[in-house]
Parts: sequence; C-alpha cells; structure tokens
Amino acid sequence: MDLRAGDSWGMLACLCTVLWHLPAVPALNRTGDPGPGPSIQKTYDLTRYLEHQLRSLAGTYLNYLGPPFNEPDFNPPRLSAEALPSATVDFNVWRSLNDHLRLAQNYQAYSHLLCYLRGLDRHAATAELRRSLAHFCTSLQGLLGSIAGVMAALGYPLPPQGAEPSWAPRPPHSDFLQKMDDFWLLKELQTWLWRSAKDFNRLKKKMQPSAAAVTLRLEAAASDL
Amino acid sequence: MEVYFYLRLLSKTGENKRMKNSSKFQWLSSVIFLYLVNQAHGQKRGVPHDLKCITHNLKVWDCSWEASSRINHGTTYEICIVNSSYPCIQTEKTHFEIPALSLAEHEIKISSMHVSGNSVTKFILNERSVSLVPATLQIFNLTADFSTSTLYIKWNDNGSVLPRHSNVTWEIVVLYKEDMEVATIATLNTTLIGKDSLHHWSWTSDIPLECTLHYVKIRYYIDELHFSGQKEWSEWSPLRNISGPPIKENYEVFPQDKVVPVGSNMTFCCVVEEPVLTAQFGSERCSLIRLDNKSVAIEINNITVSPSSGTNVVFTTKSNMYGTVVFAGYPPDIPRKLNCETRDLKEITCSWNPGRPTGLVGPRDTNYILYERFSGRNVTYNRDEEHMNENHQLIFQMIAGQEIYNFTLKASNPVGRSEAVILVDVTRKVYPHTPSKLIVSDIDPTAIILHWHLSGNFANITLLCEIEINTAYSGQELRNITVKGLETSSYRVSVDRLMPYTMYTFRIRCSSENFWKWSKWSNEKQYLTMEGVPSKGPDIWREWSADGKSVIIYWKPLSINEANGKILSYDISYWSEEGKQHLKIPDPQHRAKIQLDRNDCIISVVARNSAGSSPPSKITSMEIPNGENLKVEQIVGIGSGMLFHWNYDPNMTCDYVIKWCNSTRSEPCLIDWKKFPANSTGALIEYDNFRSGTRYNFFLYGCKNQKYQLLRSVVGYTEELAPSVAPNFTVEDTSADSILVKWEDIPVEDLRGFLRGYLFYFEKGEKGTSKIQGLESGRSDVKVKNITDITQKTLRIVDLQGKTGYHLLLQAYTDGGIGPGKAMYVVTKENSEGLIIAILIPVAVAVFVGVVTSILCYRKREWIKETFYPDIPNPENSKALQFHKSICEGSSTLKTLEMNPCTPNNVEVVETRSAAPKIEEDTEIKSPVADGPEEGSDAEPENHVVVSYCPPIIEEEIASAGGEEAGGSSQVIYIDIQSMYQPQAKPEEELEKDSVGGAGYKPQMHLPVTSTVENMIAADGLEKAAGYRPQTHVTAWNLDSPDSPRSIDSNSETVSFGSPCSVNSRQFLIPPKDDESPKSSNGGWSFTHFFQNKPND
Repeated sequence: MDLRAGDSWGMLACLCTVLWHLPAVPALNRTGDPGPGPSIQKTYDLTRYLEHQLRSLAGTYLNYLGPPFNEPDFNPPRLSAEALPSATVDFNVWRSLNDHLRLAQNYQAYSHLLCYLRGLDRHAATAELRRSLAHFCTSLQGLLGSIAGVMAALGYPLPPQGAEPSWAPRPPHSDFLQKMDDFWLLKELQTWLWRSAKDFNRLKKKMQPSAAAVTLRLEAAASDL
Repeated sequence: MEVYFYLRLLSKTGENKRMKNSSKFQWLSSVIFLYLVNQAHGQKRGVPHDLKCITHNLKVWDCSWEASSRINHGTTYEICIVNSSYPCIQTEKTHFEIPALSLAEHEIKISSMHVSGNSVTKFILNERSVSLVPATLQIFNLTADFSTSTLYIKWNDNGSVLPRHSNVTWEIVVLYKEDMEVATIATLNTTLIGKDSLHHWSWTSDIPLECTLHYVKIRYYIDELHFSGQKEWSEWSPLRNISGPPIKENYEVFPQDKVVPVGSNMTFCCVVEEPVLTAQFGSERCSLIRLDNKSVAIEINNITVSPSSGTNVVFTTKSNMYGTVVFAGYPPDIPRKLNCETRDLKEITCSWNPGRPTGLVGPRDTNYILYERFSGRNVTYNRDEEHMNENHQLIFQMIAGQEIYNFTLKASNPVGRSEAVILVDVTRKVYPHTPSKLIVSDIDPTAIILHWHLSGNFANITLLCEIEINTAYSGQELRNITVKGLETSSYRVSVDRLMPYTMYTFRIRCSSENFWKWSKWSNEKQYLTMEGVPSKGPDIWREWSADGKSVIIYWKPLSINEANGKILSYDISYWSEEGKQHLKIPDPQHRAKIQLDRNDCIISVVARNSAGSSPPSKITSMEIPNGENLKVEQIVGIGSGMLFHWNYDPNMTCDYVIKWCNSTRSEPCLIDWKKFPANSTGALIEYDNFRSGTRYNFFLYGCKNQKYQLLRSVVGYTEELAPSVAPNFTVEDTSADSILVKWEDIPVEDLRGFLRGYLFYFEKGEKGTSKIQGLESGRSDVKVKNITDITQKTLRIVDLQGKTGYHLLLQAYTDGGIGPGKAMYVVTKENSEGLIIAILIPVAVAVFVGVVTSILCYRKREWIKETFYPDIPNPENSKALQFHKSICEGSSTLKTLEMNPCTPNNVEVVETRSAAPKIEEDTEIKSPVADGPEEGSDAEPENHVVVSYCPPIIEEEIASAGGEEAGGSSQVIYIDIQSMYQPQAKPEEELEKDSVGGAGYKPQMHLPVTSTVENMIAADGLEKAAGYRPQTHVTAWNLDSPDSPRSIDSNSETVSFGSPCSVNSRQFLIPPKDDESPKSSNGGWSFTHFFQNKPND
C-alpha cells in the first residue's frame, strides 16, 4: 500500500479533528459528570443486594411470627394492609409508565415501606431480630437515597415530601392483625424489590444506547473527514 | 291435695287440742262435721274451697281459694276472722290479704253472696298453713368484662321488708347458647340485715363472652327460723342477657391477645357469618365446635409455653382468615438470691436472679418493684432491653439516718405474681468501689505513706483495708489496717517495717470492718524506698603475697538488704609504721593491696553509701603459725559441695574460715572463703562455680584472739570424673617373649579425680586389626593387667610368642571411671630355635608316615586294588565267557560258542592256572547263580564252546588277548574293560546316525520276543532307544528277559540267538549251558543277580 503525500495530510487532519473533539464527547469525559449510568447501575446492584438481604430477614422474621406465617403455602387475604403501597401492577400499565413515573413510584413506595419497617422494630422481641431489622432499614434508606440520586441525575424532581406519611401507631390493633401487617409488609417489600430490579435494569439498558450513539457519531465524523 | 290440706289442718288441730279434756271432743266432732258439710256444699254449690295462704314478707298473708267459675261471676265474698277485731273484708275476688296472725288457730269465715243464694264457708287458719314464698327478684345490674370473660351480677335483697337476720340462699343460673344450655349454677348464702342491700356475684366463663349469648336468672329462699310455716323458693327472676357484645370491626376471634398461664384450658371462638372451614392453633389443626349458627369454637387443653411472639390461632373461611394470638407463660418465679449491698453508703443495689423464665416477653415480661417497708418507698425495675441477659438489679437511694432496710421485691406479670423479702443492715453489706489514685510518699528509709481515693460516704463506719506489699527480694506480704471512714474519700496510712532502698509494689483493697466483701484490688504502684546506712561491714579476708611484702585485702560485696543503698566506695584503714593509713576503693573493686612488709596490723574495711558508712570489718594481717606439719588430706565432695568436719576447739574464739581455690591456678590461691561461727564443728561448702572433675585446695583456718591459724589443708573434688586423657606410654624393650612398657603421669587437670590405677590390655593379633574393643565384654583372648600401684610406671609382659604382633592398650582410672586408652601395636622378636624345631618335626613325621604307608600299600596292593579299585562289572565276565573260568578251574577243554547270525569265529581260550583260590580270597560272596556256571562247567568239562562274535569285537578281543598273552605268563585271557566298551561306541554312533529307521539296537528293551514290547519301544522314540539302559525297564527284565525261566524253558538257543546281534549287552546272548542244568532252570535270575555275579567275573 503506497501512500501519497495528500493522503497523509488528510489522515493527519482527520486525527487532529478527532483529538480536538475528544474532550467534548461526554462518554469519554471521565473527569466531568459521569451521567446517570453508574448511579443506575449502583442502584440496581443495591436492589439485588437488598433482595438477598430480605430473603434472610424474612425467613427469620416469619419464623418469629410463628405458624402459620412461616408456612410456605400461607397466603392470607390482605385484610388491614391496604395502606401498604402495592407493587402489583398490570403489565401494560407498567410498560406505559415513563422513567419519571417509574422512579417516582419506586421512591414513594420505599418511603412508605421504610416507615412501616421502622414500626416493625418495636414489635420484635429479640435483640437479634431488632439488629437485623435496623441493618435492613439502613440499607433501604440507602436505596431510597440512590433512587433520589438517579432522579436528580436524570433531572426529575423528587415526589413531594409532604405527602409522605409518617409512621403513627394505629388505634388498638390486635397482635394477630399486626402480624398480618408485618407479613404483608415483608411480602410487599419483596415484590417491590423485584419490580425495582426490573425497572432499573430497563433504565440501565435504556441509558446504554446513548453512549453507543456517541461512539457511532464519532466514527461517522471521522469518516466524513 | 286439697283433701290432704284439710286433713292435715284437722290433724294439726287435733294435735293442739290433745291435752284438753274430753269434753271438747264433741266440739271437734262438730267441726269435722261442719267441714265435711261445707265441703259438700262447696263442691256442690261452688262455695270457696282450697283456701291457701302465702306470705312474701311474714307481715301480710295473702290467701286465696278456689271457687267454681260457674258461680264465681257476680259473687261477693265476706271474709271474717272469727273472734278477731280485724274487720271483715268485702271483696269480689277470690283472695284477700290479712296481716299476719298470731300463732294460734284462727277461724276464717267466708260468706259467699250470690244471687243464687248465700253460703258460709269456714276455714281454720294458722301460721303453719301459710307458706313463705319470697317475692320474685329483679336483677339489679348485669355487666360483663369481655377481656376477662367475666359476668358481674348485682341484685337487691329486699332486706328492709324481710325479717332481720334471716338466712337467705341465692341460686343463680347462667345459661348460654341459643338453646340455653346451663353454663353454671351457683348457690350463695347471705343474712339479711334488716335493710335493703345490694349483693353481687361474678363468674368467669370458659368461653369468651363474645362467642355466644349468655343469660342469667336468680331466685332465693329465706330460712326464717321463727316462721313455722312452709318455706319455699322464690320464683326465678326474669332472664337477663348480656347487653350486646362489643364486636369490633376486625375482631372476629375471641379472646384477643390473651395472656394465660401455661397448662390452662382455653376455648377460642370465631364469630363470623360465613362458615368456618378450618381452625389452627399454632401449627396444629383443631376440630371445630359449633356454638351457634355463626359461632364456632376450638378447645385447647393444657396449653404449652408460647414462642416469643405468641401462639397464633387462625380460623379460615372460604374467603377470609381470622385470628388471634395467645401468650401462654409462667407466673414469675420467686426472685432468687436476692441480695442488697451498698458500694458507697449512698445507694443500695439489690440484685437477684429471676429464676425460671416465664416465656413471656416484651410488654408481658415480668415487672419488678422494690418496696422498702420502713420508708414506704419503692423503685420500679426499668427494663433495659440491651442488657436483658444480665443480672437483674435495682438501685435504691439510701435514706439519711436509716441503716436497716426491709426490702420486698415484688415480681408480677399478666399471669401471676411473687415476691421475695430481705432485711438489710447496710453497714454490714458494704462492698466498696475499687480504690484508685494510689500515691506513695516517703517518711524514712523504712517507712512510707500510702494515699488513695475511695469514693463513698463511709463516715459512719470503719474501713478495713488490705495492703499488698511486693518485693522481688522478699516476695509478697499482706498487711491489714483499719481506717476511719471519711466523707471526703481521701485516705492515707503509713506503712513501716520496710527495707531501705528497695523497690516495692503496693496495691490496696478495702472492706468495711463488718466484713462483707473485699473491693477489687487497686492498680499497682511501684516505689523505691530511701537509702539507709549499710547494716554491716563487708566480709573480708586477706592473703599475703608470695614475697610476703604485701597483703591483699579481699571483701565481698554486701547483699542488697545489707547494703541498704547503692555502695559508693569502701574505706580501708590500717596502722602501719607510718601511722594510720586510709584507702578509698570505689565500689566495683573488691580488693586492695597493702604494703606491710610482714608487719602485723589490723585492717579495717567499711562500706559507704549515700546514707552513711557501715560498721567496720576487721582482720589481722598475720597468721598464727601452725604447730605441726600439716598433711594434705584428700576428700571427695557430695556432688553439690564439700563437707568438712573438725573437732570442737574451745580455743577458737572468733570463727572458722574455709577458703578454697582451684589447685591448678597460680598463686595467690583464692577463689572464695566462708566464715563459720566459733562453736561449729563442721561445714558444708557449696559454691555455684564448683565443677566436677576439678581439683580444689581447701584450707581451714581457726581464729584465735582475732588471729587466724591454718588448721587443715585438703585437696578434693566435689565429684570425681574419669580421666579425660589416656596415659602416654611407650614400649621400652621387646624380646621374643616379653615386652617392657613404660608410661608417664597424667596431668592433674586431665586426671579429674584421684588416680586409682591403670588397666593394661594386650592381645595377639595382626596389625591393623586391633580387636581390643569392647574390653568390658571380657573376651578370653584379651589379657588384662590391673595396676593398682599408682607409683608404678613400667610393666613387663612375659610369656609372649616370638615374632608375633600384639595390640597393647593402657587406661588410667579414678573412682569416677576409666579414662580413654592409648593403643599400640608391637611385634615380638623372632625365636630361631623354635623355628627350626617347628620345621623339622613336621617334615620328619611326614617322611615317616610316607614310608610306612608305602610299605603297607605295597604289601597290600592286591587287597587295596580289589577293595578300592575293583574291576568294573563286565558282560564279558558273565557266563557267556565262562570258558575262561573253566580253563582257570582246571578245565582244559576248549569251548566254542557259535552264533548263527554272525560270521562265526572260533576263539580258543586255554587257561592253565586256576583262578578259584583268588576268588575265594577276594570275596566271600558267592551267589547261587555264580555257582551255577561253575557247576555247569564241572558237569561239562572240556566242552568246546563256539562263541559267535561280531567281527569288530572279535578283533579287539584278539588284540587284547594277544597283549595279555605277551605281557604275562598266565594263560588267562582278560578282556579289557576299555576294549569291551570301545566296540560299543561305534554301533551307538551308527545307531544315532541311523536312527531314522528306529530299528537300531535297543539292548534290553528288545529282549522280549513279543512284538508288543517292540512296538512299545518303537513308540517311545529315539532318545529311549539310544544306548544301554539296563535299569530302565526292570519289569521287562523280570518278565520277558531271555534269562527268565520261561524263555529258557521254551527254547533257549532259538530265543537267544534269534535276537539281533548284540554289541552292547552280550549277557543275554549267552545261552544257558544246557537245558539240564538245574541251577539255570530255576527262577533265581533277577536284576540283582546280574550284579552279584560281578565279583565272580
């Protein structure tokens, strides 16, 4: 392959142009704002970690509640747990949600669940169980912060804080109904974590093509030159 | 019933009048008559009958009668009490009320006025015929406590209208379920107090009251003693049920969140509209009990301890699930090991062990209250969730001026309560805090002040404290002290009897004087006490120098507890010619040289530290000369040291000194010395540096008037060892039978013990093969000499062999063992005479023996030949050639053996000399077979035998015969053994070459005539066919040999000569001499006979 002087100059110019544009490519600019990608990944990882942590906690806690709550086929009606945010949603409705709504629902749900979870602590009679719950609450608080971070990175406003219900002890509540609430709280937490993992996975995938597009654009620019 | 009433009325009347006179009987009869008439009229016309009176309150009688309804309407009655002031009563009703009448009988006249006519009915009435029936009650109040499933009933006893002090029995019935089953029946007894009073009764249901409706009714019975009439129960009160159960929206299962004692029996019910399908208690399924159309229950008996979150009870319907939680636990155990003590006399800490776990946690856990009876104050246990497993304790603030406290610890939980009591005198239960801030200050070298802090208000008590004083030198010491308790918490105490300049470690713990518990030890405090004056002068000794012009003063450093500080220097003073002299020697040096030039003076040494000088130690420079020449004694120690004994000497006024030194060291001889009191008679010298196997010199001095005199001189070992080197020896002289050995002394330091002798070993042997090893095994070939005279330095070993090598070994030994040996090899000188004799004698003996043997051999050569070298058995010597023998035996007849298949050759053998005597001489074995031919030969003397031979053999035989004939005078023709066998070789070789045919000669095997045997042999192969194998087929010999009687009997000539021409075995070719021979025809032929014939051959 023989190169002519004209070709060499052309390639040099192309190279210089590429180098000139490199700092402007967000995907390559590691020193600046890394974008929402890492925080989404982090949130996704945290969700998976919490799923794992909850499996252990739920096992212990349901054993503490005693039979039939720890029986595998126990499926009580959702009696007094209406206040808990339900993660169950129609698939089409879920698909139709936009990122903002998706994140806002997650944020709101965990805000509520965290409040209820803190209430769970006062029923637990053993110190060991209380420690596990406190640890999980801290992790969940972390997830809430991560979601808020992702929302901020994507430029979405946080859901209004005033609407967040603060934990208030219910009027005389029987121990059995309390156990039912605890059961449903754990169950909803599980469902929500599962849904969040799916949400953040979807969001993660959605964010990736933008970086790929930058690369493609870069290649296109180079070939133009 | 009515008849009975009236009869009874009459009978009672009769009873009352029994005591009256008989004149009244007529009146009675008339009454009966009247009654009967009335009765008849009443029945007949509807007049009043069955008068019945009751009273509710004993004040008013309420009487009624029966009247025919037919005539009742429009009838007016007038009731009059006969002979009474009570006015008659006009009424249209069939009952009337009258005040209670007196106990007497009263005649009641009831006049009925009706349009149809009037009638009068008379009744006799008294109190006995009146029934007391209390008025029907109204339940005043019925309430329920649903949490405890208890019913509370209140009612008014109407005591104001009833006679006072009357006993009343109440009967209460509780009914439940829709069909009003009886839940319980209760009976109560009360006494009326003359005014209305409310009574109440409560009942706890097994079933929660919410489960189904419960009804209550009550009646009563008054037992009035003064009333002679009949007493009856009141009517039941109207039924009251519990006002609607407060079923909350979500509470369908009862009881809710109940805490019960373990072992209780419980009923849980579920009140729902839809049918309940299953019920579960914990993990256990339960059978349902229907209470009413919308309530089902389950019964749990002997309930067990619940888990911490309670036991769940769940009822399941088709669409829903209802439940409750029950907590079963134990009532609190009696608090165990309740103990109250104070640490600072400000607050009292009571601790206890809760005992058996209740199984109830959280809000249902045991609550404790500590109550002080004298002050009436109490403290409540504040449960610290984080420290639930630790010991339970409560802190009670002390009350000023109060020392005795009576505590009651009350434990309670939802299922029970318990308590424990303790009476405490706090001044006897002081467990002080740990003393802190330990500080030490000086008083003097032997005393200090100890300061410490102990928080608390101990102003009213005396503290007992224990000080631990620790030194590395003297170990641990504990001292108990008492100090007055203070409010200020700062304590100080002086500690004396300490040693100066000593590092002490102090720590302290305290208790109260009324001991209860020691506090924990305070932290340790190290402190060095002040220096003090050295308590004694140093231990001194002196040694004159070799030239006697100076003396060296030695002293030992003071021990720590003697020095009382750091020794700075030693001051030495003595008086010399120039007057008093002073020397100051700094501390590390412990000797000083003084020029005295054999002058006698007193030398004084003092040790000095910063606190002052020690008392002086003095010693005179000169010794008292020892009167007699001292012998040097030898002693051996006892391992760790040396033991000395001496006789008590009253002249010795000061002390004894033993000094010692290593004998191998150069002068002055001094390692150490030791002083012993004047009254001692022995000493054990122990010295760390004593070494085994080292020789020491010991000198015992006695002190007389402050002057020392040498008493004994001793050489010794603490422990003897074996010599470390071998004695150096040389061979001074060597002769043919002796060796002279000479050796040298072993140096003292190598001897390592007192020499006891030498061991000399010698052994004959080659150089370089020393076997003087393992001498202890006592080998016999090693000779040993024990030389116990240690002055002997030479040894001559005699009785040795000349020109012989000897190994020599010399060892020295002490009581500690045998030292190593030095070995040497020596060869003794040659002994020439012995050598000559040693050569000549064997030669002479050998010659003599040779000569004698030669003579004997020569003389007995025939016998030797026959005995040791007999002729090989030879077929030639058999009968076939008996003609030789026949000739020898004197027969001159020529015998010719003719063999048909062969080319006939005639051999004529002439023997002129008889061989018979020789045979008899050589052997005595004469078999019958051997005799046979001889006899045969006798029988046929001079027969011509024609022997047929195969040509080669004949040629050889002729040659041999020719040879013998030429060489000797005898006429006997010998057939040489070699010549006999030589011809055999050829046919064998030919046989091998011609083995293809397999038809070669197979000597004995072919002997049988029968073809069977031939076939067998042919089948055996060539290797069997080759050569001569006489022993191979013994049976064949016996059975089918031509020599066997059978073959002989048939036709000896035909059989014998019909066989192939034999070259290997001519034996069988020899026919029997004649058929007539009796010997040959017998069965004596056998394989063994064949060999027995050999000598005769």
